[in-house]
Amino acid sequence: MSFTLHRGLVAALLLGCSFPAYAQDERRVKIVLGEEAQLIDPCMASRSDVGRVVLQNISETLTVLDPRSADLRPRLAMSWTQVDDDTWQFKLREGVKFSDGTAFDAKDVAHSIARTTSGAINCEIGVKYFGGLDISTDVIDPQTIEITTNPAQPILPVLMSTMTIVPEETAMDEHTRSPVGTGPYIFDEWKAGQSISLSRNPSYWGETPEVEGATYLFRSDRSVAALMVENGEADIVPNIAVQDATNTDTDFAYPNSETFFLRIDTQVAPLNDRRVREALNLAIDREAFKGSILSSEVVSATQIVPPTTIGSNDNLTPYPYDPEKARSLIEEARADGVPVDTPIKLIGRTGIFPNGTEVMEAMQAMLSDAGFKVDLNMYDVAEWENFYTKPFAEDRSPQIIQLQHDNAKGDPVFSMFFKYHSDGLQSVLEDDEVDRLIDEATVATGETRADLWKQLFARLHDDIISDIVMFHMVGYTRVSERLDFEPSIATNSELQLAEISFR
Amino acid sequence: MLKHLRNRLISSLLSLAALIVIVFFLSRLTGDPSALYLPLDASIESRENFREINGLNDPLIVQFSSFAKDIVQFDFGKSLRTSRPALEMVLEAFIWTLQLALITIALVILVATVIGSLAAFNVGGLFDRVATVVSLIGASAPDFWIAIVGILIFSIGFGWLPTSGTGSLLHWVLPVAILFIRPFGLITQVVRNSMIAALHAPYTKTARAKGAGPRRIIFGHSLRNAALPIVTVMGDQAAGMLNGAVIVETIFGFPGVGKLMIDSILMRDFSVILASIVVTAIAILLMNILIDLSYAALDPRTRA
Repeated sequence: MSFTLHRGLVAALLLGCSFPAYAQDERRVKIVLGEEAQLIDPCMASRSDVGRVVLQNISETLTVLDPRSADLRPRLAMSWTQVDDDTWQFKLREGVKFSDGTAFDAKDVAHSIARTTSGAINCEIGVKYFGGLDISTDVIDPQTIEITTNPAQPILPVLMSTMTIVPEETAMDEHTRSPVGTGPYIFDEWKAGQSISLSRNPSYWGETPEVEGATYLFRSDRSVAALMVENGEADIVPNIAVQDATNTDTDFAYPNSETFFLRIDTQVAPLNDRRVREALNLAIDREAFKGSILSSEVVSATQIVPPTTIGSNDNLTPYPYDPEKARSLIEEARADGVPVDTPIKLIGRTGIFPNGTEVMEAMQAMLSDAGFKVDLNMYDVAEWENFYTKPFAEDRSPQIIQLQHDNAKGDPVFSMFFKYHSDGLQSVLEDDEVDRLIDEATVATGETRADLWKQLFARLHDDIISDIVMFHMVGYTRVSERLDFEPSIATNSELQLAEISFR
Repeated sequence: MLKHLRNRLISSLLSLAALIVIVFFLSRLTGDPSALYLPLDASIESRENFREINGLNDPLIVQFSSFAKDIVQFDFGKSLRTSRPALEMVLEAFIWTLQLALITIALVILVATVIGSLAAFNVGGLFDRVATVVSLIGASAPDFWIAIVGILIFSIGFGWLPTSGTGSLLHWVLPVAILFIRPFGLITQVVRNSMIAALHAPYTKTARAKGAGPRRIIFGHSLRNAALPIVTVMGDQAAGMLNGAVIVETIFGFPGVGKLMIDSILMRDFSVILASIVVTAIAILLMNILIDLSYAALDPRTRA
């Protein structure tokens, strides 16, 4: 009691007369993000910093994919049917209004699709999910819209779970800084460099959420951010480092839909030899990372999509740690004239995930122990991208590049073409069987689709050995004990305030 | 003096112009921003479109001439990150940095002058020895470590202060305290050494002989004569603060120009890089002029 009084007196003295500004509003929450969202335009919501503020809070989508169960559910669309191979019809929810008071209808959907995919303002959702796709809309009536794509998209309703809907009046050629949406929260204020505030939408069409509003703060130092919950200054801090997750009452680990792997450049000797690629995999002691510099809860992986993704192949097993066999494979390759002593460039990306540099240093040591000559080079993302994306340098040295891939959309189509098809922007493979499997799986449906993806994963992991696949990663989020909220795989890209309640 | 100021102004403006040219071209050699602003899976067409709408496909010399025309009207263009006017972003951030720097500098001058002077008045005494140890610790303390320890003690341990952020007077306490420590240590040592020399100068002995008291000897006679090196070192420290206190801004989430500049460099946000360099360079230029004027005020021989 006396200690509390003492604290209050000091605070009052320092402030002159008022109480500390960091006292919690009872029914509002404070969320600490790693960086300030630079744009809070709904069409940028596939970026995690924007998505955590905007997605399903301010702006909603026609459908919602639950990444935990991979179920697709209605949101602003009530139902959808496939009209023909290229066209889907969506029936829209009635009685929905935007926060500016205008009614939501099919014209808003048509405008949102046009704005997101036009290229005039480089909307990230358009580039990421609709790149290379001709998309057109036909407004049948205020509550019905048909969407046609070329090439045909059998998973268009899943794609529509990424398309945020804005009013028809939203400018086509300019990012908005005060987003208007149909969601349970409305945008209040953005204090540059300090905070973004939302408050509950009184005219929301759905259930009234318990949280009355949210303030998003920005702290790049995640240790300090984590301490803010401990000090009662904040309620939720996503993405804290494993070494800061020290309180089992408040710190939650959850699969974050990211997979950590290293792409092997199969085009350049000695990495164009399958034995060498197998030796690389056998040289890595994956278990040594768990509970040391990575969370003990990371899961050894065999493919670059989370296990909940359709077509995930459960029959594959991670390569064991067997340095002896790795050495004998290297010697076998050497005897056949493979230049195994050529220095291999190990390319890492600074800040890719907490302790990402330390992981690369450990991998370099493991590969060296097995007999490889490996030079580790860490780059910032702009330089790293030169090694990652085509066109690749003709005279490049053998390279292995550190990657982390996020696929929370439940389907490998969002990952595989870019990374493994011979026309993929980041692919070093030129394998006819891989191309065929990707092409066929992309347009297939149901069991056939899942089976083709399974075959593809087996081809990559067992036959070609295109990567050193490491772990399905976990994230840590600190949550105040006053909240009833458990982070999930979805927390990586969105943070729905309506899912939070108070204890 | 006026001639000196005019020359100083001209040379500073020439330096500023050279700086702008160098930074403009160097920053554009550091990589393609489309890699940072578009998803890694973005197609070649999307990247091309990004470069086109942001004018990055034009030859460098064309980009520079367009930039030079705009900068004359103080138009630095829009930020690639935020689509906001770059100058507006920089000025918003600079106000925070300026407040932080001014408060810290004022405290450093006040505290370091008093402690350094008193230590010099009784060289080798207890106060001098304590002040020397404390100031040397301050001058060599790693500020990121002190900042974290400060948060653990005063925010988590005692719960007296917020860990970070802005919003009340309390939010300023830890950032100012952390920024204060290093210049305080340095300036205290400079004041002490300058004052030791001044206190042994003939004019001080004359003042003592005339019966002046310690306060008058220190603050009336010696300090003014010892002030020139103090002003020089303080000017250097202040210039560092006006550039932004990156560590303090990062740890405490203070929206200052230092972190803005670093983030802009990492994100190849060219307009903001240039706007922040120009704004801080002008601030340092003005501060140097103020230092010149204070030299003149302190030492009549420099007025010629």
